[in-house]
Amino acid sequence: MIEVFNLHKSFIDKKDKKNTVKALDGLSFTAKDGEITGILGPNGAGKTTCLRTLYGLLSADEGFATIDGIKVTEDPIAARANLGVFPDKFGLYERLTAYEQIDYFASLHGMTGETKKQAIAQVLKDLDMEELAHRKTVGFSQGQRMKVTLAQALVHQPKNFVLDEPTRGLDVMSTRVLRNHLAKFKAKGHCILFSSHVMQEVAALCDRVIIVANGKVAAQGTPQELCDLAGEEQLEDAFVKLIGSDEGVAA
Amino acid sequence: MNLDFIQLKALIVKEYKEAFRDKRALMAALGFAILAPIMIVVGTKIMIEKSVDQPPVYIKFTGAEYAPKLITHLSDNNILAFADIPESDQAIWDDRNIAIEIPEDYAQNMAEGKPIKIHLKADYTDKAVLVPVSRINSAVREFSMTIGYKRLQLRGVDVRLLNPIKLVEQDTAKPDATFMMIAMILGMYLMLAAFMSGLSVAIDSSAGERERNVLEMLLCQPVSTLKIVIAKLIGASTISVIGVVLLLVLTSISVGFIDLTKIGATFSLGLSSTLVLILLLIPICFFASALQLFFAFQAKSFKEAQSTVTMILGVPAFIPFVLMMMDDRPQWLSWLPIAGQSLIIEDIFKGVDVNWLAVFTTSGVTIAITAVLVLILAQRLKSEKVVMALS
Repeated sequence: MIEVFNLHKSFIDKKDKKNTVKALDGLSFTAKDGEITGILGPNGAGKTTCLRTLYGLLSADEGFATIDGIKVTEDPIAARANLGVFPDKFGLYERLTAYEQIDYFASLHGMTGETKKQAIAQVLKDLDMEELAHRKTVGFSQGQRMKVTLAQALVHQPKNFVLDEPTRGLDVMSTRVLRNHLAKFKAKGHCILFSSHVMQEVAALCDRVIIVANGKVAAQGTPQELCDLAGEEQLEDAFVKLIGSDEGVAA
Repeated sequence: MNLDFIQLKALIVKEYKEAFRDKRALMAALGFAILAPIMIVVGTKIMIEKSVDQPPVYIKFTGAEYAPKLITHLSDNNILAFADIPESDQAIWDDRNIAIEIPEDYAQNMAEGKPIKIHLKADYTDKAVLVPVSRINSAVREFSMTIGYKRLQLRGVDVRLLNPIKLVEQDTAKPDATFMMIAMILGMYLMLAAFMSGLSVAIDSSAGERERNVLEMLLCQPVSTLKIVIAKLIGASTISVIGVVLLLVLTSISVGFIDLTKIGATFSLGLSSTLVLILLLIPICFFASALQLFFAFQAKSFKEAQSTVTMILGVPAFIPFVLMMMDDRPQWLSWLPIAGQSLIIEDIFKGVDVNWLAVFTTSGVTIAITAVLVLILAQRLKSEKVVMALS
């Protein structure tokens, strides 16, 4: 379970105070176990800032985030132990093979020996990337890179799983693989939180959608509830309408 | 196995894999260690040749045909006949006008065992003549002695009887300037090697990883930043230690090829002094890598990291140089990293006994400063400014 309470975060330009960006402005939401929660928002709405605060990479000016009840700011290491992360900006260790890289992250989560081997074999099979496993990652395509990153985030079977726009650059087959994978995790009772721009995906996959605009929650509910709230049939139209005016959301 | 150990092992193994697979950086690091001994050998050889070279001396012989063996002996000592002179030097030696006269009855007197008089004519007030004259003098005396010894031996007399007392000379003067120069350059090279060898690995594993967006991913994992810093430090300093050891081994082999005794210096890099040097330089390797990681992580980009860290290279080059210039060295200088080690290295090269207390104090201080750097860096890595390279 991932909970976020009243997050505030500003990026202050020391030279020019007017340039200060208020990225988060009292953002609160909950992502429950056994559900897929989607964060939807326009560019610059504060999605990535919110998720980075969740990993403990950024510290909030006000408010806090908890993972399975553990405050990220208080015990970041214990909080991250229950977390699988697919970050906004990701790179690969280009001098390692995909297998070595996944192995590295599995070890960082304390896995060893046979358990680790099996877990890696499983995740390689699940993501259909056994052929890639023993190649150095240097010439990988965008989609292949995504897969490696996903594999290293999933290998330790995290209870909570945060993905920052996981489907950008993936082809249809890979997107389906990912979707099925997430659905399986959900069925096992894991908590999945992901941000996205792609409406169809959010509509198809998410149990709950949180629409973020200007650093706060503009609306939340199931895709259907959001459509009803906005009085539109398509989620996309509902989204545009909901972030378009604050008055409509207050209702 | 506990979690800390598993994580640390995974981190270190990964740093090693990346460092040793980066062939280009590795070559750059170790190339320095390989090049340095070659440069030292070539440079020293040239210096020695200059200082002990026997330039040719040209003499006007008369009656050379009577004593061919003597002439051969002289020409072995680079004392040559005027006829062989190159045109460019002709005027000089014509002016010096050194002449040797060998008498007609040389061969006959030699055969009969009578004393032979050879005349050496030169203007002894001319200073330029003095060195050639003394060389001719000793060459002729040497030749004469050899014949004398042979005569005595033929008559069954032990030639040692001629030298009842032998004076053994020991020079207690300070090693000359040439030798001090070599020692200083080598000392500086060793320091530089400690800083140079790990440099690219240190930058690559810190600013490089941040630029390639892999650092962010790593910092999202349940690993303490201290472990990350320690693993990176071990990765970079291992390369640095390899560089230093390689440099020392190659240097100790290559100084065998230079005959320093020719310039009156004794310099050997024996096994024991090599080991002391390695012991002394290992903390410096760690210190250098910690310093480089410290600045590279705080730089805003890979480029900035490269330029800042390269500037740090001035430190190991500058400090030994300043020490050379100082006449009164305050005590605390010998405790500081780099300065302390430079002083001890100087002692080792001079052949002075190693002051172990100084070795341990300066190593201790170096390790302590390294530890502080690591702790501060681990703390800094928790800050979003360093992680995201914000200003």
